[in-house]
Amino acid sequence: MIEIKNVSKWFGDFRVLENVSETIEKGQVVVICGPSGAGKSMLCKCLNGLEPFQEGDIVVDGISLADPSTDLIKLRQKMGMVFQRFELYPHMKILENITIAPIKVKKMSQADAEKKAFELLERVGIPEQAKKYPGNLSGGQQQRVAIARALAMEPEIMLFDEPTSALDPEMIKEVLDVMINLAKSGMTMVVVTHEMGFAREVADEIIFMEKGSIVERGTDVSFFKNPKSERTKEFLDKILLV
Amino acid sequence: MGTFDWKVIYDNFPFLMKGLLTTVELAIIGITGGLLLGIIVGMARLSSKKIIYYPATLFVNFFRSLPLLLVIFWFYFLVPLLAGRPMGDFFSASVAFIVFEASYFAEIIRAGIQSISKEQMQAAYSTGFTYGQAMRYIILPQALRNMVPSLLTQSVVVFQDTSLAYVIGVREFLRSASIVDAREMRSLELYAFIGVIYFVICYTMSKMSKRLEAKRGMAK
Amino acid sequence: MLAYDFKWSILWADPYGSWMLEGIWVTIKLGVICWFIALFLGTLIGTLRVTPWKLSRLFATGYTELFRDIPLLVQLFFWYFAAPRILPHSWEMYLYRGIPNSEFWIVVVGLSLYTSSRIAEHIRAGMQSISDDQYNAALSTGFTQFQTYRYVIIPYAIRLVIPPLTTECLTVFKNTSLAMTVAVLETTFMSQQIEAYTFHGIEATTGACVVYMIITLTVVMIMGLVEKRLAVPGLITRR
Repeated sequence: MIEIKNVSKWFGDFRVLENVSETIEKGQVVVICGPSGAGKSMLCKCLNGLEPFQEGDIVVDGISLADPSTDLIKLRQKMGMVFQRFELYPHMKILENITIAPIKVKKMSQADAEKKAFELLERVGIPEQAKKYPGNLSGGQQQRVAIARALAMEPEIMLFDEPTSALDPEMIKEVLDVMINLAKSGMTMVVVTHEMGFAREVADEIIFMEKGSIVERGTDVSFFKNPKSERTKEFLDKILLV
Repeated sequence: MGTFDWKVIYDNFPFLMKGLLTTVELAIIGITGGLLLGIIVGMARLSSKKIIYYPATLFVNFFRSLPLLLVIFWFYFLVPLLAGRPMGDFFSASVAFIVFEASYFAEIIRAGIQSISKEQMQAAYSTGFTYGQAMRYIILPQALRNMVPSLLTQSVVVFQDTSLAYVIGVREFLRSASIVDAREMRSLELYAFIGVIYFVICYTMSKMSKRLEAKRGMAK
Repeated sequence: MLAYDFKWSILWADPYGSWMLEGIWVTIKLGVICWFIALFLGTLIGTLRVTPWKLSRLFATGYTELFRDIPLLVQLFFWYFAAPRILPHSWEMYLYRGIPNSEFWIVVVGLSLYTSSRIAEHIRAGMQSISDDQYNAALSTGFTQFQTYRYVIIPYAIRLVIPPLTTECLTVFKNTSLAMTVAVLETTFMSQQIEAYTFHGIEATTGACVVYMIITLTVVMIMGLVEKRLAVPGLITRR
């Protein structure tokens, strides 16, 4: 479904991504972890065509992102994305946050879009917040709304860029539960996170990135007990402890 | 020392008010036209395409380095030339205000858009919006809200700036007073009167803008 | 488009060229004098606005509001046509006829007062952004209130407000063009006089535009140097 082929990206002399390759099948959940500055978020944004890359190619459902004639707008409708800092639209109510894209992009009627939005809010567990503004919600609630907003476009793939790292510890679980349910429903997911509990439960593949490259990969967390490099081991020990 | 005679105001009140009306008209044209053109130029200033960025930047820096008075003269001579026929001083002044004030509004808009985080744009893109849709539904509504105090302040400036249309003979508030003055020789009463009226209008508008700013400050 | 014969030579042909030069000289004189008076008055008024004394705050607030909320041109007309009427008749005549160049000095008064009120606002904003503890720290070392402002708060605030002051300085030079309305023979006046003699308004006005642009660039350069000179490490003044 997603094929990343030797992707490299740099700013001036600074390499952000170096020769990254990865294949993700439909229904798979891939977790990406690694120290900050490793290029995880950048890879996630490249997948959605939000950041350009200089070399290599990313092919989603047979469509190449490197091809300049590709309609990124169309492509993005296949993918939903959840950001670290939620990025809800602060000037719109929760319901509008979820319905605006279906109405304006998919030309869905307002009634249908709202019906769908309520279903999704039900699914993420906060239907009673529909009429509030993002500023009145807790971080965990906001992130669940952000997931609902992405799902409203009925994507085939969901990208999560550190969805819980801006949250207080007591709110992380409510977001992870939503994500676990999503994974179990068969959604193709790419998740940048350090939540190893989540990885253990649903990940089909775990990737460890450092300095823009993939340095380790495995099918479950135990694989990481014997990492190749000392640096990886050190980092993993830290996050696995948590 | 002359004695005060406020009768001159009373006698010429309708004439003076007609001048004030022209001032208000010019201000509304300058503010709406300048704002609309300013939004376009302000967005162009943020474009990554050089062919859009450079002309917009040149436009802004050019007009911001000139006195408004000269810009008014300039369009006064240029507009009939471009139009091929005399268009009247009010029309020329309107064009000058729209273009000149747009360069100031553009900078406010640019700063306002830049105050919205880049991730908001990416979030909008990620749900399938085009650039235009993301701007229209997500970025501009937020940015405009942040900008309201600055825009109001600039609107007060535009309102005051309209007095410069005096120099090309537009019968706005100041020109009306000076016409009456030439006939009645009552400078003190007339200029004090229009000074007070200008003050009341501008002071009220400035206070509104300050209040909005304070309200926003609390909401944050 | 109307047929129009451009004749740029009117900008330097005799006697117009020397008119322009005279005009530029008056513009520079007017701008520089007003700028320094306004800077002094503005700093004073801006400081009064943040002092703990209610009366001085009230006065300073009234001052800034009054001059900011009336168009500059109306103020100039007031000082030029209206204010002298308050004087006894003989003084009024002396003002217009006895003082050489009286219109120049009347504009100096009007433009300086107007500009000082705008500078005062920037200074006030700059001072209010300085923390109370900075003020307390100065007092704790034994400074009087006056010394605290003189040695600590004002020098600090001036550095903070250099970018908006640069804009204000440009505005002064641009605003000197309004002096033409009361017959001060500065650049804009001269350009329009050339227009009256030659009917080449576009060329004359464009010529004046170039003059103001050169002045603008020069001011930006000078203020850039001042900023560099006053720069404090770790304190970002430029955006």
